Amino acid sequence: MTLATELQRWGRWFLPGLAVLLVILALFPIWATGYGVRVMLQLFMWIALAQSWNLISGLTGYVSFGHVAFFGMGAYTTGILVTRGMPWPLAALAGGAMAVVLAFVIGWPCLRLKGPYFAIAMLGLNEVLRVAASYFEGLTGGGLGLSLPTLDASVRIYYAMGLVALAVTGLTHAIVTSRFGLRLMTIREDEVAAEAMGIDTFRYKIYAFLLSAVAPGIVGGLAARDMGYIEPISVFPLLTTITMIVMVLFGGKGTIWGPVLGAVILFTFQELVWAHFPHAHQVLLGAIIITVVLAMPRGILGVLQQKYNLPRTV
Amino acid sequence: MPGPILQVRNLVKSFGGVTAVNGVSLSLEAGKIYGLIGPNGSGKTTLFNCITGIERRDGGAIGFKGRRIDGLKPHQVFHRGIGRTFQVIRVFPELTALENLLVVTSGDYARSRKRAEELLRFVKLERLADEYAGNLSYGQQKLVEFIRVLMSDPELILLDEPAAGVNRTLLNELLDAVRALRDRGKTVFLVEHDMKVVMGLCETVFVLDHGEKLAEGPPGVIQSDERVIEAYFGR
Repeated sequence: MTLATELQRWGRWFLPGLAVLLVILALFPIWATGYGVRVMLQLFMWIALAQSWNLISGLTGYVSFGHVAFFGMGAYTTGILVTRGMPWPLAALAGGAMAVVLAFVIGWPCLRLKGPYFAIAMLGLNEVLRVAASYFEGLTGGGLGLSLPTLDASVRIYYAMGLVALAVTGLTHAIVTSRFGLRLMTIREDEVAAEAMGIDTFRYKIYAFLLSAVAPGIVGGLAARDMGYIEPISVFPLLTTITMIVMVLFGGKGTIWGPVLGAVILFTFQELVWAHFPHAHQVLLGAIIITVVLAMPRGILGVLQQKYNLPRTV
Repeated sequence: MPGPILQVRNLVKSFGGVTAVNGVSLSLEAGKIYGLIGPNGSGKTTLFNCITGIERRDGGAIGFKGRRIDGLKPHQVFHRGIGRTFQVIRVFPELTALENLLVVTSGDYARSRKRAEELLRFVKLERLADEYAGNLSYGQQKLVEFIRVLMSDPELILLDEPAAGVNRTLLNELLDAVRALRDRGKTVFLVEHDMKVVMGLCETVFVLDHGEKLAEGPPGVIQSDERVIEAYFGR
């Protein structure tokens, strides 16, 4: 148990450490290069995405294979609204709202399906949306894509992304430490027993699903503004969903800090390797999936929690 | 004179071509312990599943406290006041013992926490409150599942083989707990293969065979009923 006592000792430094880190991140754009800011805002985006996937799939065990659909929905909503003159922060919020609407429309029928069927349905949803985005040319620009008015808002988007990442992590903390969160976990653990113990599992799944769609919608909108140009294949890529999943599985599904840890480690690695060996990226993701599934299905934090019986807040 | 607390009338449930429960009727009075016995595959668990809404019945009716409960979802049945345990343990393994209890009730958190701690003390598991349920021994998990039902203080408690795999000392405590529940006016309905448990505990026993009710009566009478002996051992 030396590691547990060790961790407890670090635990006292956790909150002060976090505060210092947040201050540093808040001041970062003052001295950072444009490239540095862009890299960090992408990291924030990944934290928000991974954390959101964790809310539905890590907690309830319902694997969403099409979570990027909410990202794309947010991106197109924001893109369309911005080209019609709406300020981008408002448009990104509208993107979040549209993602929630989409989550409700798709969740209502699909969350009645058991695990694997839900996963397939979500995969299908993403494909349908990508095709729809290409088809409705009048609204979306079709396969040619949609160009947003030129604007350099990197620093403001950096703060917006950071806020979203922070908010989803805070939300996850609130959920995991509440009875609501425990009930979501009972669905993952044993849905029949959860029902028999009076938990309206369908309603809880819907709540978790709606919550998990907000941030991807907003972040999709922010990313659209940041890129300045969106097209169906760039905002509905399956690879983005897979990356979210790998980040969460790697860091520890169902934990508060696992998705953050997974996002930081994987994103850093990706930035280092990506630049030199573009194709190694996907091979690496595949290798990580296999290793995590075989060697530590709970992820880094999950293994530590289980082994040393740590509280869920670690 | 209050009517029966649970009334099952002509219940039918089939899976494909197999009729698991075939026209079973029975009624339970409040404040008593009832047993349900029968050979493997006679429909005992299916009957429990129909009562608790986990399986949808194909025919017949189920009434609880004078209101129909067939067609309700399991969580709705639970909130009407029916709790159950399972034949195969179904604790939530990656929740702690305490958390397994906390998820059940709503309302004031501090109060349900207090109740959960009381129940853990009641089965002498208070020291394992923060242990993951999946790390507990079989008997301990069985106890957690049992007290999890008690969290919401249900009127009717269905126990599916509570004695299976539980050692003697633990078993006696469990049986005392069941009697204590009865003395507080709760109704207990249990499936059990251990005849000593059934005979020592139940006031009325129902016998199922091939999905049909074969006999009903006090344990002493059931034990010497020739049809029952035949169902178990053959002619």
